[in-house]
Amino acid sequence: MQNDLSHYKEILVKGIWRENPVAYQVLGICSALAVTVKMSTALVMSIALTLVAAFSGLIISSLRHLIPSNIRIIVELTVIASLVIVTDQILQAYLYDISKQLSIFVGLIITNCIILGRAEAFALANNPADSFVDGIANGLGYSMILMAVAFFRELLGSGQFFGISVIPQFVYDMGFQDMGIMVLAPGAFFIIGLLVWLKNSLPGGISHEKK
Amino acid sequence: MSDKKQSNRSFKNSRVYVVFFALAVALVFSVLITSAATMLKPLHQQNRILDKKTNLLEAANLLPENERLTPEKIQTIYDTHIREVHADPRGQILRQATGDSLQLYLIHTDQQVQGYIVPISTRGLWGKIHGYLAFEADGETVAGFSVYSHSETPGLGGEIESQWFQDNFKGKKILNAHNQLVSVSIAKGKSENLPENLQDHYVDGISGATLTGRYLSEGLEETLTQYEPVSIIFRQKKGSQTHLDTLLDE
Repeated sequence: MQNDLSHYKEILVKGIWRENPVAYQVLGICSALAVTVKMSTALVMSIALTLVAAFSGLIISSLRHLIPSNIRIIVELTVIASLVIVTDQILQAYLYDISKQLSIFVGLIITNCIILGRAEAFALANNPADSFVDGIANGLGYSMILMAVAFFRELLGSGQFFGISVIPQFVYDMGFQDMGIMVLAPGAFFIIGLLVWLKNSLPGGISHEKK
Repeated sequence: MSDKKQSNRSFKNSRVYVVFFALAVALVFSVLITSAATMLKPLHQQNRILDKKTNLLEAANLLPENERLTPEKIQTIYDTHIREVHADPRGQILRQATGDSLQLYLIHTDQQVQGYIVPISTRGLWGKIHGYLAFEADGETVAGFSVYSHSETPGLGGEIESQWFQDNFKGKKILNAHNQLVSVSIAKGKSENLPENLQDHYVDGISGATLTGRYLSEGLEETLTQYEPVSIIFRQKKGSQTHLDTLLDE
């Protein structure tokens, strides 16, 4: 049992931190640029991606002995696409405003390299429970970066935190202005770049595995 | 053992198995998607109708700002201020739709007509743009504009749904000094850089979205030409307050 726990912990640490999908593998950048203007959209996107990653890992791993290897990518995509469509339908039903803001980006989870990458690299070779944990770990790793980027972009770009104004009026009166560039895509590029640099320069932040 | 593994692998890649497996996967997942879509459909429709109503109220500037609105609240404001009506080609306002009538919405407060809203449906760069253009009771001043569905590029043409762009329309005139219809168009760049006599008929454009602006301008002009008979009816009343029922029964 102890062994099991440390095994899952190992998978989690690897996905969230050591081999973080955004900061280390540089995957999923497209959506990280697009949905991080506000924290609320980033949060919903993070949850959606984490769920899709976890359940696609679980399903693909359960089917791994049955999937014919010459159509495996198509089967993986069928599983992922179906889960994404169901997620999108649920968002449209219960979080209509946010789903409108996320527009095409939820649908584009299908093409997010993190999900197919984990299916190919992990789920096909490991058991369902491990794959589920791996999906959660990578989803959380992605979410962590997304929320950090969204936090800085929303704070500096519109002076808000989850849509609540946090910069007091007197600061504006003293001549402070929201940084317009943070609302635009280049702002996300700068922040992601800085985060990747920060993460990889921390001790233990980068895997020094010999090729 | 290795023989068994070998045969298992070749069986897994045999044509019959691949076809069977692909069909089974397709069947299972299409059932999943279909049932999710069917079960959530009523909620989707509700959301869409509520979103339309919210946008109508937004165009008419009837939504209180900085307030969390519940669906019930929106429904109440809608019911007390908006009436869906139709207009025949001569501009006559009708209660019921007829074969060639146009749809429009009247804005009223205590049964006094305050203005009207014209639905906009035009092509954009990537798909249809749907929205509303509200007018004051004088039949020439734009009261507001809103977009509820579009497929323009987020960040570029998608800016048509942002607040600054929509606020831009308030107070613009669709008639020139000679009382001719000139519609309201999207400028290239800021409208304040245009000659003085044009500023009333242009709103600030979105940089990087020239084509969206052009199509929207064309669509607005086409729609307003269609609705011109209705606007003429309103202009003839010249600011006098009209009761909702009088307008409908005339």
